[in-house]
Parts: sequence; C-alpha cells; structure tokens
Amino acid sequence: MSRSFNFLPTVKSGEATKLLPWVMAIMVYLSALAATGSLLLHSGFDNWASSLQGRITVQITGEDKDLITAESLEIQKALRQTPGIEEVRILSDQELKTLLEPWLGSGNITDDLPVPVMIDVQTSEEAYVNLDALESKLKQISNNVYLDDHAKWLRHFYNLAYTVEYTALSILVMILLASVGIVIFGTKSSMSEHKNIIAIMHLMGAHDQMIAKAYQKRFMYYGLKGGLIGLLFSFITVYGLLNLVQDLSGGLVETPTLPYLKMSVLLLFPLLFALLTMFTARVTVMRELGRMV
Amino acid sequence: MVEFRNVSMSYDKGHEVLNDISFKLEPGSMHFLTGPSGAGKTSLLKLMYLAQRPSRGEIMMFGRDVAKAMRDDLPKLRRRIGVVFQDFRLLDHMTAVDNVALPLRIAGGSGAQINEHVEELLRWVGLEDKMLSLPSTLSGGEKQRVAIARAVIRRPDILLADEPTGNVDPEMAERLMYLFVELNKLGTTIVIATHDNALVKKVGAPRLHLVGGRLLHIEGSKKDISDFNAGKGLDQ
Repeated sequence: MSRSFNFLPTVKSGEATKLLPWVMAIMVYLSALAATGSLLLHSGFDNWASSLQGRITVQITGEDKDLITAESLEIQKALRQTPGIEEVRILSDQELKTLLEPWLGSGNITDDLPVPVMIDVQTSEEAYVNLDALESKLKQISNNVYLDDHAKWLRHFYNLAYTVEYTALSILVMILLASVGIVIFGTKSSMSEHKNIIAIMHLMGAHDQMIAKAYQKRFMYYGLKGGLIGLLFSFITVYGLLNLVQDLSGGLVETPTLPYLKMSVLLLFPLLFALLTMFTARVTVMRELGRMV
Repeated sequence: MVEFRNVSMSYDKGHEVLNDISFKLEPGSMHFLTGPSGAGKTSLLKLMYLAQRPSRGEIMMFGRDVAKAMRDDLPKLRRRIGVVFQDFRLLDHMTAVDNVALPLRIAGGSGAQINEHVEELLRWVGLEDKMLSLPSTLSGGEKQRVAIARAVIRRPDILLADEPTGNVDPEMAERLMYLFVELNKLGTTIVIATHDNALVKKVGAPRLHLVGGRLLHIEGSKKDISDFNAGKGLDQ
C-alpha cells in the first residue's frame, strides 16, 4: 500500500537541509566527547578511589625527629597487633620527598624541614576497624598521632564524580533534544520547499506513509553521514587530548586510561543519530500531512 | 457517477464560495463548467478531486458520500480521479516519462508495465520524441499534453480539467479539446472548467454555469459533441 520510491528532487545548494549532515556531525561530535569524558572520568575515579579504600594513613608530627621516629616504631608494633590490619609500612624519607616534590619543588626539601612520619596501613576487606578506638589506643603512645581513613575526602570525591557524570549525561540529553529540534525544523523546511510536489503526490492518491518514507530515508542518510563524520572527528580529538595529558602528567594525578570496551558503545552513535533523525522526520511529516484534507 | 446534493463550501470558515449546489452527472458524460472569474469553478473542482471537503451537503461519487469519507480512504478514491491543472503542475525534476508514470508508481505498478503504458500514451498525445525531456524544455501545449497523459494513465473513472486551454494558443486548445472528447468516447466522465465560450460552443457539451457560487443552469446536449468530432479533426 505504501511502497516507497524517491519522488523528491536532489537537494539544491540553497536548501536548508543541505547543511543538516554537518549539523548532525557537530551534534554527534559533541555527544561523543561528552560521553568519552564521562567514561574517562568514571574510569579514573574508580581507579583513584579503589586505591584509597581500605587504607588508613597514620601521621606522627613533631619537631624532634628522633622522638617521632621512636614513637613511629612503637605505633607500628601496636598497629600490627591490632585485629583487621593486614599490612603496616612506615614510608621512607625518599618516599615522603617524592610525595612533597610536586608542591615544594625538587631540591627544596632539606633535612631540617619538620616532615611528619607517615605510616601506610592496609586493612583487611572483611574486617571493620574502629578508627576512634584505634586513635585512642595510639594516643597513649604519642599525643601527636593522627589517623585518616580518607572517608571525608572520598565522600567529597564521590560527590564530585557523580556531579561530573550527571552533568555529562545532561549535556548528552540536551544535545539529543537539540538534534530533534533541528531535524523537525529541517523536515518542515524541506516540506515547505517541496509543497507543490507533496500536493501533487497527495492528489494522485499517495498515502501519507509513502510520502513520509521518502523523507525518513533522506533524513536517515543525513543522520548516518553526519554521525560518521562527527564520530571520526571526536576520536581524533580524544586521541590528541590524551596525548597532551600524558605529556603533562608528572605524578600529580595518574593519567586516565581509555576504557576501550565501554567506549565501543560510541560506535553506535551514528546509528543512534540516524534512527533519531529518521524517526523524527517521519513523525514530523505524518503530523504535517495529517493537517491536509 | 457524480451527484452533488445541496453542497456548500467555505475556506477556513469564511464566507461560502459555493452555495447550495445540486446536480447529477451520468457515467460517461462530458460537461463544461463555466462562469466568470470567482464564480467558484475551481472550488467546485477541488471538491470533486477531493482536495477540499464541503461545509454542508452530500457528494456522492463511486456509490458513497465522499464528503464524509475517512481521511485514510481518500487516497484510494483519488486514484479513480484524473486531474489536469491550468498551470500543469508537472514535477520539474522529472522527465515527461517519469511525470506520466507517477500515478502508476504511486499505485505500486511494476517497472516494465509502467514503461510500456507510459510510452504508448505519450505517443497517443503526440509526444513520442519528448519522452525524456524535462518540463522546463517543453512548450505550453506539450506540458499540457504531458499533464493530460498523467491524468489518464490509470484510466480514471472521472477526469477533471481546470482551464486546460488557458495557457495554450487557440490551435493547441482545439487539439487538446479533441483529446478530451476522444477520452470521453472511451467512457471517461469528464468535467472541464473553462472561460473559453467559443470552444464550449464548438464542442457543444452540456454546461454547468456558476455565478457567485451558485449553479444557475445546465444546458447543452451530448449530440453536439459528436458533431465536434465529425467536423474537426486532430492533425494526426
């Protein structure tokens, strides 16, 4: 009943729809960047957070280096006797210097600088360590001992991570909505351009579906073409940006690695946009034709 | 075949351009639709080719009231009607062959069958050497013959023509009219809206005369059409 054939003329250079594949390319480009950013941050956040979970940092401060060193050895002994603690390790002077170098600069850390002693503690996954009780116990050895299980920092960290991810998701949704709007505008513009042709088709007994099919095919092609171009440029951009980040990374933060498996979903973006433009064009044409007798 | 019963029509709920029109056309008849500009000739044709719906009354075509037909049923009914427009309304990006083939493609005809029919019809209207020409390269008379071929390719039950001779010279007008008469002889019901009183008199078909949206009278007889055919020949 609604066999399809292409009755539409080739797009002329002056027609608004001529630009549609390029607009779609920009939309897919932005969507792919937003999605890549979200996936990249998600992967980075997971790595950073998992490296801190189950760890306690014990800090012993004081100006008398010999005293805090002696106290740290006692604290190390006490910690090893505490149930649920798997590993206790006092950080060496060299490790502390490496940690401080990004902030103070190389060669600026002198021996008379009152650097605290740091103990890295690894707790067992199953065990629950009461941090307050442990701190009270260690305070009996040194009054200047501080424990940090990074919970507060992790909470802020997760808040930031979720905010960034939801923002990226919102950007994606906004791009999709904008794309739908652009396709509706493009379809109406194209129909207006071809109104005489549509009227003739209509009078000769063409069903709405037949007319809609010609448009949906054309717009699906626009979406697919734009999608492939946009995706290609987004990959080039991500590759370039990651190279720049790699050059900058100097120990402050760990360079995020691309989650290739998850990123393969981006390959579906051109198809998704092709279907989106096709469906939007169809609905728009059917609605417009529905207003005719 | 076609019966209007107290039909009125207005655009966008404005004043009525057609008022209380009633008439009946027998199958295989041929009528002229005459009247001054603004009398409602084109509006009446639009009702007949189902491009508009009446505000009041019944329009009986193909054994049903098409004024109340569901929108989804209209395409099927439209395929039984051929329309020729004064401004031809050919699709400029398609060749003469493709323009004429359009109704067959819409109806889902197959390629070989379409080509055979279309070429035969274009030969009949004297355009065998213009088959692959675009409308922009054709004269007014040639365009109108392509439009007629397109209107009759599916052997419609009714052929409606709105000022078909308005954009062609008198000689071509007579040739086109001869084509309509030939089609009528094949059994197609024909209604032609025209200003050309001389041509109406020459052909002598019955006349529906509209003035100010009202149908004043129906006059003429089918006998005169035979006289037109006998007296004037198309140079073939």
